[in-house]
Amino acid sequence: MTEAENRPHVIRYAKGKRPQFYETPGMDAAMSMIMVLASEVSVLRDRLDSAERVAKAGGLDLAAGIEKLELDQDALEAREAARQDFMTRLFHVQLKDADEAAQAQTDDAFKATIHEIAQQ
Amino acid sequence: MLNTFQQADHPILPTATADEASRQEFAKSFKGFIQSTLLPGLTPIYQGRVARSFEKSNGRAPADRRDIRAGMVDDIYFQHYASANRVAQELLWESVVSSIDRQLPELNAKAAQLSGAAKAALDIPADFVPPRYVTALDIHCMPGGYCSEVCEDDISVGALYDRGVYLYSMGYTGPNNDDMGRSVVNYLKRHMPDFQPRRILDMGCTVGHSTLPYKELFPEAEVWGIDVGGPCVRYAHARAAGMGLDVNFAQMNAEETSFPDGHFDLVVSHILLHETSGKAMPRVFAEAHRVLAPGGLMIHADLPPFDLMDPFTQFILDNETWYNNEPFWGAMRDMDQIALAEKAGFDRSQVRFDTAPMAVMEFAAAAEGYSQEASEHVAEREFTAGEFAPGGGWEVLIARKADAAALAA
Repeated sequence: MTEAENRPHVIRYAKGKRPQFYETPGMDAAMSMIMVLASEVSVLRDRLDSAERVAKAGGLDLAAGIEKLELDQDALEAREAARQDFMTRLFHVQLKDADEAAQAQTDDAFKATIHEIAQQ
Repeated sequence: MLNTFQQADHPILPTATADEASRQEFAKSFKGFIQSTLLPGLTPIYQGRVARSFEKSNGRAPADRRDIRAGMVDDIYFQHYASANRVAQELLWESVVSSIDRQLPELNAKAAQLSGAAKAALDIPADFVPPRYVTALDIHCMPGGYCSEVCEDDISVGALYDRGVYLYSMGYTGPNNDDMGRSVVNYLKRHMPDFQPRRILDMGCTVGHSTLPYKELFPEAEVWGIDVGGPCVRYAHARAAGMGLDVNFAQMNAEETSFPDGHFDLVVSHILLHETSGKAMPRVFAEAHRVLAPGGLMIHADLPPFDLMDPFTQFILDNETWYNNEPFWGAMRDMDQIALAEKAGFDRSQVRFDTAPMAVMEFAAAAEGYSQEASEHVAEREFTAGEFAPGGGWEVLIARKADAAALAA
């Protein structure tokens, strides 16, 4: 075993059944995931703030530079593309639903395919 | 009021990378947000929505905290509030767990080194069995509880408690997590300036955070902290040594210690009683009475009993029972503690509840992130259920053991 495999690990889960707060299945998990992601957004924001402060201590005023930055056409296009791309990924399930409707993919057809392939 | 409180470093406190520190700060901020911004909304939700609909379907107004709870659990605002509270608690522990996991063997070695160089005793018996009321559930959802050990000489859950409880209290217990002990000592100094205990016992001391102020303010006294958690007292011993204080620690159950009769002049506990059980709590009182010398004092600091607050406040406090793995939290607050103390041998006339004002504003202003204004803000407000720091002060149950002459009579 390597040294990393030998290292002891702190216990991760508290003993005791977790209460559910919502009637909708999955909602409790979704709320937890949203807050974990919110925590990471906050961590990233802290890190950017640190980067600006460290740079400033080194004589480079990043924060002021960011405020003054004028976006040229390339930058405007790159950012807008990134935002649209991000939202496309964010709305994956909804867009997939529309795509399925367009291609007439249904639950029944899906199950029929599984059955059919098993027979072939 | 911006809470920028920061925990003071000490030699055995786990370190945090920049991202770990940010995650921990987020958990602390989220708790603060819930208490300052979401919690107040429960009152209009209850009065304007839940109480009315309860009355409509039951033909009477909600009578007690159980009725209130029955109505509130179906309300979406309450569901969001309670869910947010639970998630905040989970984020808090997770942010510290992953940080300690990264450095555990090094922390264990450092604790052993600090302990090894200390003069004070550390007693961890090999055959100790912790009581079921602390092992059945991981209290306040702290992974591993107080007693789990994942390797030899493990201090992981002690370190987890020290950092985690600071975040849980959002720094209102002061830079060294010691406000409860410090508040009780201040109370003693103010009301009994001649009281000079020779030996002091802190029952259920966890990492000794409340224990150390007793040594600091009674430097001549022999001070002992006991707890059922082996990793906790191991960490506590190293922590005290790292902070330069000779305080003895032992893994022991407060229901049945190994100290001789009449050994201590002062027996204290801080937020211990609500983590015991219906059968254990009277035994803790009886044991305190036994180990106290004639004229000695027993002081238990906790939150107020239910009969001192209205049903809605009780309901909010009782959420800890249902959502934060605190099985005895509610039941303990229904017990007649004065009668229990009397049954343990204290004279009823010598038992009373009082408030020990929070010491936080007296000592914290010089520490990092603690403004005088913010410290006063917490120390001077009224008791509010659902917030960590109770404001106004800590509720203390004080019982004095009879003098030798009275005991002989």
